[in-house]
Amino acid sequence: MSDDKDVLRDVWFGRIPTCFTLYQDEITEREAEPYYLLLPRVSYLTLVTDKVKKHFQKVMRQEDVSEIWFEYEGTPLKWHYPIGLLFDLLASSSTLPWNITVHFKSFPEKDLLHCPSKDAIEAHFMSCMKEADALKHKSQVINEMQKKDHKQLWMGLQNDRFDQFWAINRKLMEYPPEENGFRYIPFRIYQTTTERPFIQKLFRPVAADGQLHTLGDLLREVCPSAITPEDGEKKNQVMIHGIEPMLETPLQWLSEHLSYPDNFLHISVVPQPTD
Amino acid sequence: MEDEFFGEETFQQYCAKFIKHSQQIGDGWKWRTAKDCSDGYMYKTQFQIKTGTMASHLGTPASAQTCLPTEEALELPLDDSEVPGSTAASEVIKYEYHVLYSCSYQVPVLYFRASFLDGRPLSLKDIWEGVHECYKTRLLQGPWDTITQQEHPILGQPFFVLHPCKTNEFMAAVLKDSQKINRNVNYVTSWLSIVGPVVGLNLPLSYAKAAMQDEQLVD
Repeated sequence: MSDDKDVLRDVWFGRIPTCFTLYQDEITEREAEPYYLLLPRVSYLTLVTDKVKKHFQKVMRQEDVSEIWFEYEGTPLKWHYPIGLLFDLLASSSTLPWNITVHFKSFPEKDLLHCPSKDAIEAHFMSCMKEADALKHKSQVINEMQKKDHKQLWMGLQNDRFDQFWAINRKLMEYPPEENGFRYIPFRIYQTTTERPFIQKLFRPVAADGQLHTLGDLLREVCPSAITPEDGEKKNQVMIHGIEPMLETPLQWLSEHLSYPDNFLHISVVPQPTD
Repeated sequence: MEDEFFGEETFQQYCAKFIKHSQQIGDGWKWRTAKDCSDGYMYKTQFQIKTGTMASHLGTPASAQTCLPTEEALELPLDDSEVPGSTAASEVIKYEYHVLYSCSYQVPVLYFRASFLDGRPLSLKDIWEGVHECYKTRLLQGPWDTITQQEHPILGQPFFVLHPCKTNEFMAAVLKDSQKINRNVNYVTSWLSIVGPVVGLNLPLSYAKAAMQDEQLVD
């Protein structure tokens, strides 16, 4: 269905209008203007904010600049989470633009991973892809690829090249004709209310009787608090890429079409906003 | 969902046996269950003196270090007078080791973090530099594939991790050999004795004897 291919493009090209403001206690030589940027939902903060860094470093002295880190309403932002996930989880009920504060000192060692270079982002991204394929294909598809294919996946993401990325990624979305889907579905469910950063378990896309499992089936099994009881009021939103898919959606279809470039479904469970 | 070869339940059983022996010899390993779930991890805190490499053996000059430490070398001196005269600056580092189960790879994974006594954490660079000489070559071939900083899946805090994707490869040989002589192994004990030394964690040999005894009791 050509509609399905359109979904892949819509997911890839999703953007969040963001306003970056320098933390007020940073030492500047003159006033720092806020910096506006459209952030790709499927990328990572430290991969797409070189311009932000340069903009603020222009008004600071070299010696006052240490590793950059970002924060939203007091919460340090994990650069190793996709941008769209961070927004859905922390700011989806707020008005746009997304207001992010930029820091250059007092790196929160207990909360954030360091990002010493682009190599760190590549290593993290590839590590997620490998884990996703371990779940989908026992690592067979990704291990059969050549190094240059792995590089192409990374370059496609880094340079925002949808066709370059999907030329290789489509192989990771295939499965043997005799099966009805992947071995297990790569997913992580995030909530801000738990100490555990995310829920990740083994879950098959197809039931023993051959029926396709749905998003609702997954939630009932691994995160029942996200599901509204029969006669109860809807307390939570189950969100991926800023939308709430119907709970009847087959999980296999979601995995093929709404995964992030790392091949994981990153699902946010957030409180229903009270308008 | 326990239809795979090595499931979470089996992992917990291996850890229980491992910890039982640890308690017998006072090796300090404990189990912690996650607050919201039945999963959990094995953990241990250890103090080491850093004089250049992680597995520095007190009383052994650096040039005479071997890859397989003796049991005596694992004990910290109680006072400075026991440390041989050395002009190299040395600092005490606190290591925390956590053994978790990865359902994606169906193997155990070693997480660890290290800090100086004043709370300053060690950097990834410090960790890479501290890897024992024996393993340096392998590390330098692909540092980003070997040890990186990652989020602890239960605590959500930054830890260093020894990548699990190659575990099956080297454990397959161990398991195959033990099957040949019809002996069951404690997977966690065997695995930890292989990966631990890379990052300064050594297991006394008595763990191996304990694993053999466990298996004999079952027979």
